Amino acid sequence: MFTGINNDTGVKTTTHKAVLPFYLYAAISFLAGTIILCGSLPAFTRHYFHPHILAITHIIALGWGTMIILGASHQLVPVLIEGRLYSNRLAYASFVLAAAGIPLLVYGFYVFNMGWPAKWGGRLVLLSVLCYVINLIASMWKSNAKNIQALFILTASLWLFLTAFFGLALVYNFTIPFLPKESLRYLPLHAHLGVIGWFLLLVMGVGSRLIPMFLISKYTNSKLLWLIYVLINGGLLFFLITFLYFPGTSFIIPITALLLALAVFGYYCHSAYRHRIRKKVDEQMKVSLLSVAMMLLPLIFLVSISGWLLTEKINVKMVLIYGFVIFFGWITAIIFGMTFKTLPFIVWNKVYHKKAGMGKTPNPKDLFSNKVFSVMALTYLAGFILFIAGAYIANFFMLNLAALLLILAAVLYNYNVIKVVLHKPVIK
Amino acid sequence: MNVLTNNKIKCTIALAALEDVLDPEIGLNVTDLGLIYQVDFDEAGRKIYVTMTLTTQFCPMGESITGAVKQTLENIFHEEEVLIKLTFDPPWNYERISEEGQKYLNQ
Repeated sequence: MFTGINNDTGVKTTTHKAVLPFYLYAAISFLAGTIILCGSLPAFTRHYFHPHILAITHIIALGWGTMIILGASHQLVPVLIEGRLYSNRLAYASFVLAAAGIPLLVYGFYVFNMGWPAKWGGRLVLLSVLCYVINLIASMWKSNAKNIQALFILTASLWLFLTAFFGLALVYNFTIPFLPKESLRYLPLHAHLGVIGWFLLLVMGVGSRLIPMFLISKYTNSKLLWLIYVLINGGLLFFLITFLYFPGTSFIIPITALLLALAVFGYYCHSAYRHRIRKKVDEQMKVSLLSVAMMLLPLIFLVSISGWLLTEKINVKMVLIYGFVIFFGWITAIIFGMTFKTLPFIVWNKVYHKKAGMGKTPNPKDLFSNKVFSVMALTYLAGFILFIAGAYIANFFMLNLAALLLILAAVLYNYNVIKVVLHKPVIK
Repeated sequence: MNVLTNNKIKCTIALAALEDVLDPEIGLNVTDLGLIYQVDFDEAGRKIYVTMTLTTQFCPMGESITGAVKQTLENIFHEEEVLIKLTFDPPWNYERISEEGQKYLNQ
């Protein structure tokens, strides 16, 4: 059907109002996370089950990683499923619930009050995830297109729900013990459900679509994506069952499955890169591709600490570094890259979609400072490497310097995010 | 470029004008990107029918791109109303990028 009305061309996407709050919240959380990190450095020479470590982990995993992924996926899901988001209201509800729940949960961990702050924080986060899962399922139900990427996102969201549910159960277990063991014993399960089931599965699903799309690559291979899907979910299910019901079982099978999945995904990204039509690769894509390579780093640490899961001989230092390279390494790097491949487009669309064709408008990539982005990337990388080295040799000078560099990277990230969000129309 | 039309001269003018409409992500104009499938002009000179596509269905920039196509053509053909039909049959693919477009992307 021909239509003359600009906004009735059948391409309506998710409103920016349902997406931008997630980005802003994530940016502030990252800054808060780096500040708490800087103020909690002595905790990095103690046990990983330290209140401050738990607080930092949750502000970064939920406030930073999960919030930005929830926001971006409300925008990207319609592209992947070729249909509309079922409900903007559920997206708002998901934001409000998580925005209220995360600080409570983080505060609860920081002061180690497993009473109302942690319990209410956990409940609100769980409700937020429930809203997101319902919105995803309803959107996919109404869409005609079924594809492997959508399945990755849906499955990842179910793992997230399980992670949040299990996390809340662990909080309750502190005050009303009902699980067979103390909560500390279940931490590896809770952490890996979140890191592998939620973050890794989602990043691979979305990345398998976005990386070729942004590189303008002809490459596609759904068989490889199915293989990755089976390897990750199969490996994680094996880990879940053996951890709960067959303690003492070797983790070689899930670790091998994970390693294979990463190798296949690396091959997929490399093939997309080789078949790209656009030869020039921008800074943001370079950082995103770097983060794919950075997936290997946590795996190296996982292999080195996996013995502990069996022998109960805890190498606390290595576990702490393992957690750091996941949240401040791989997850942060991919968010850095992808923020500036998605946020400027969302804002550009908001500012210019009714002004299209009226004159020359800036490109979305002109909405942020590429110089600031480059300085941020270098500062972050220096801080990241220095922190690992400092934690390994327990050197407070290095840890302090690294934490300050990470705060600087967070400030620069926030500067660019705010610059994009506050962009005013410029038409020549 | 394989664009169907019932008026070759006017279509050439339209496609030249549409070289100013860029896909914001790719940085390439909609003509060279091959997003325009058909441009027809009614005999009374009152309406222009544009059949076009997007690189992906539910593309977040879709509304802006179709809006810019409509506005740009109305700026050139003052008297005529531009009506747009968005289609994904056939879906866009990389083979539709023109030689000029390929050169630009290869830079």
